[in-house]
Amino acid sequence: MRAIRVIALSTLREALRDKILYLFLGFAVLLLASSKLFGILTVGDQTKIIKDMGLAGIQLFLMLIAVMMSVLLISREIDSRTVYYILAKPVRRWQFLVGKYVGLLATVLVNLVLMSAILVVLVWLYGGGVDPRLLIATAMIGVEMAVLVAFATLFSVLTKPILGSIFTLSVFVVGHVSQDLWLLTRHLPESVGRTVVSALYYVVPNLERFNLKTEVVHGLPIPPEAIVWALVYGIFFTILVLTLACLRFGTRDLQ
Amino acid sequence: MPEIELRIVSLRKTFHPGLFERPVEVLRGLDLEVFKGEIFGFLGPNGAGKTTTIKAVTGLVIPDSGEITIGGLPHDAMAAKRRIGFMAENPYLYQHLSGREYLRFSADLLEVAPSEIDDRVAAVLDQVSMGGRGDQTMRTYSKGMLQRIALAQALLGSPQLLILDEPMSGLDPIGRRDVRDLILEQHERGVTVFFSSHIIPDVETICDRVATVIGGRVHGVGAVRDLLAREVESYEITFTGLDPSALRTPVESAHRGSDAAWVRVAADRRDDVIRELAEAGARMMSLTPVRSTLEDLLMSLYEEGGAS
Amino acid sequence: MTRNLPTVLAVVLLLIGAVVSENALQEVPREDPLGRRLLYLPSAEMLRLGSLGNPGLVADLVYLWSIQYYSQYRPYERFLYLETVYNLITDLDPLYHDAYRVGALIMQLPTTDEAIHKAAVIRLFDKALRNMPDNHEIAEAAGWDLFIRYRDRAEGIRFFEAATAIPGAPHRLHRFLTRWREEEGAWSVDDAIDYWREVREEARDEFDRLVCDRQIYRLVASRDGELLDPLLSRWQAVNGRCPASWRELVDAGLLGETPLDYFGQPYRIEPETCSAEALDAVRLE
Repeated sequence: MRAIRVIALSTLREALRDKILYLFLGFAVLLLASSKLFGILTVGDQTKIIKDMGLAGIQLFLMLIAVMMSVLLISREIDSRTVYYILAKPVRRWQFLVGKYVGLLATVLVNLVLMSAILVVLVWLYGGGVDPRLLIATAMIGVEMAVLVAFATLFSVLTKPILGSIFTLSVFVVGHVSQDLWLLTRHLPESVGRTVVSALYYVVPNLERFNLKTEVVHGLPIPPEAIVWALVYGIFFTILVLTLACLRFGTRDLQ
Repeated sequence: MPEIELRIVSLRKTFHPGLFERPVEVLRGLDLEVFKGEIFGFLGPNGAGKTTTIKAVTGLVIPDSGEITIGGLPHDAMAAKRRIGFMAENPYLYQHLSGREYLRFSADLLEVAPSEIDDRVAAVLDQVSMGGRGDQTMRTYSKGMLQRIALAQALLGSPQLLILDEPMSGLDPIGRRDVRDLILEQHERGVTVFFSSHIIPDVETICDRVATVIGGRVHGVGAVRDLLAREVESYEITFTGLDPSALRTPVESAHRGSDAAWVRVAADRRDDVIRELAEAGARMMSLTPVRSTLEDLLMSLYEEGGAS
Repeated sequence: MTRNLPTVLAVVLLLIGAVVSENALQEVPREDPLGRRLLYLPSAEMLRLGSLGNPGLVADLVYLWSIQYYSQYRPYERFLYLETVYNLITDLDPLYHDAYRVGALIMQLPTTDEAIHKAAVIRLFDKALRNMPDNHEIAEAAGWDLFIRYRDRAEGIRFFEAATAIPGAPHRLHRFLTRWREEEGAWSVDDAIDYWREVREEARDEFDRLVCDRQIYRLVASRDGELLDPLLSRWQAVNGRCPASWRELVDAGLLGETPLDYFGQPYRIEPETCSAEALDAVRLE
């Protein structure tokens, strides 16, 4: 456990020294500027747009961290061979990978907390009141990112950094449209294509399951089961993908 | 029979670089035994499999077959890893950390008790003469300084087996001397040192035993003196006052500098040359016996390996 | 610094060149660029897929764009695809309250095709009601728009009926609905009185109740007047003058007792027209 904790903390520190928090600042500036601009342009309820904008922005910025940073930080460790000194010590390979994962997720979550705080304050400033349900939506974005960082971890031990980023980005995109692809197959005649798409639906996580933005923005009720099952779904997928990553990394030669 | 610290039995490894590239067979049944408490040199030309062997021992490369034990334990057991201190060929360290931060991180991974980390880190920093620079980020370090930090992290866990891959490459003479002193110091404490090197004089001066590796197999193992020829094979002579081309005695090679000339002659022609120099009124500056060195040995081994 | 001056100058010149050519491009007349551009609006389904889980944000952006686009003056193509655009927005975010309202508002701007736009307004509001069956505000807004802008009381009534069926709808909607139904002639006075009594039962505060009372009072008075005025005429025909009090009618056997208004006060007999008059409009104001 100590090894995982130490590697996680070191990864978090590396990410923070890589000025990853500038992304958060970028988010804050973007959100502030755009709410000001939309205030001028729109007719009606501004807070709705700020919420939409903020939640989408959080999702997008965190996705960037997950896709770029995760693959980068793990690949950097392997490519620059700093991993040699870690694995020659009493540290198991899976502990290294899980430590990296936890550190990256912590990086994402630090940003998530800061961005959520900005959003809640901004909505309050624009007269939308303090909306604690926004935090439910951002927390679920956090769960989505947990799954995505797991994929980034897997791809970073499977392939090169650029490809890893592209694959992780693809998981994000496909994960958000997989439900529609699946629905599409219902209209297709029974065929190989339909089987393939159906299989894809279960292999790629359905990231829309973590999307509670509409419910939160429009104040619709959220069934507690939807949150509980989404959590279970996210945790299972994360552990599954991390296990695959550890299996692969466990047999990999480091050169 | 001395106790064995590191045993490698018929280690095999083939790398598969890619779909369209030929697999490379790097280790072809390598056997090795390193005794407890000795300084063991691991010699071989590039591509012979030295680094791959060391990576297999430290668990970075997974061998296809064979067996590695450290202190009698399987090498991938955590207990075995706790015995090792490892330094890789090039110092791969985090650029964004200071030397001290990196060593604290390493100490954490080595399961040093949290209350002892500070003292332990300060101690090894002093040991590698980096006490004063420990708080600068490693981005600002020279290669020699990085090497010292890499060495420091290897010493951090008080290892019983120190595995060093080319510990002296890229160092200036002072750095090389420091590393040599450190190895000897560890040796005195009873630590087994296993290191690969290209720098022959160091191996000659400090190793108890040496293994030469060619083409993924150990070619020869023994005390340094056993591997070298006892006989002086030739002499190098420097002199002034005569052009080397004027010598009648056949020489192996000759060179004329601005001040002095230099020739190498076979041992049995030494006296002919000296006599000739005296007759010509030239002044002899020095006479040096030339022995077969490890370098020559390696060269000959490499040629054999290349031929087979 | 001085060494870099030529480079800086070159950069500035290049930038100026870019700005100038962009301005020149703006001046070049192009054929119907904006109307055509609208033709390429992607479908809501594609946009929703492309938004990767943020259809609400895309709806916001199209909405913001539409406000800027339709608020520019353009002679004929002004309302091109108006309904398509707002359908797109409300397909992306079916609960976008503001988009329904503002979309309808833009459709209501005066044009040559009043009837077409009115139909579009009704369709948009109907869509809003389908998507937000619990939202009485949008139904109320629809009712007002149809009533005020198009003087279409029938549609107004339809939307207000929808609004009042939603729990939590403000009380005033009931009142207006009743008024409009009356004015529309759809109701008898008795229907109206019954409805106002119901509305009064549900009134939430003193003001609402007072407003209902006033309406009931007015209706009761007009209904009673229709009964009392013929009696007064009859008495006048017999006696050649208007009765001074209800007592005279009771004595004549035309009435059982003095008629009282909704508040229990006797009606006044207006001598000039010889009709029953309610007193209390003044008192209630």
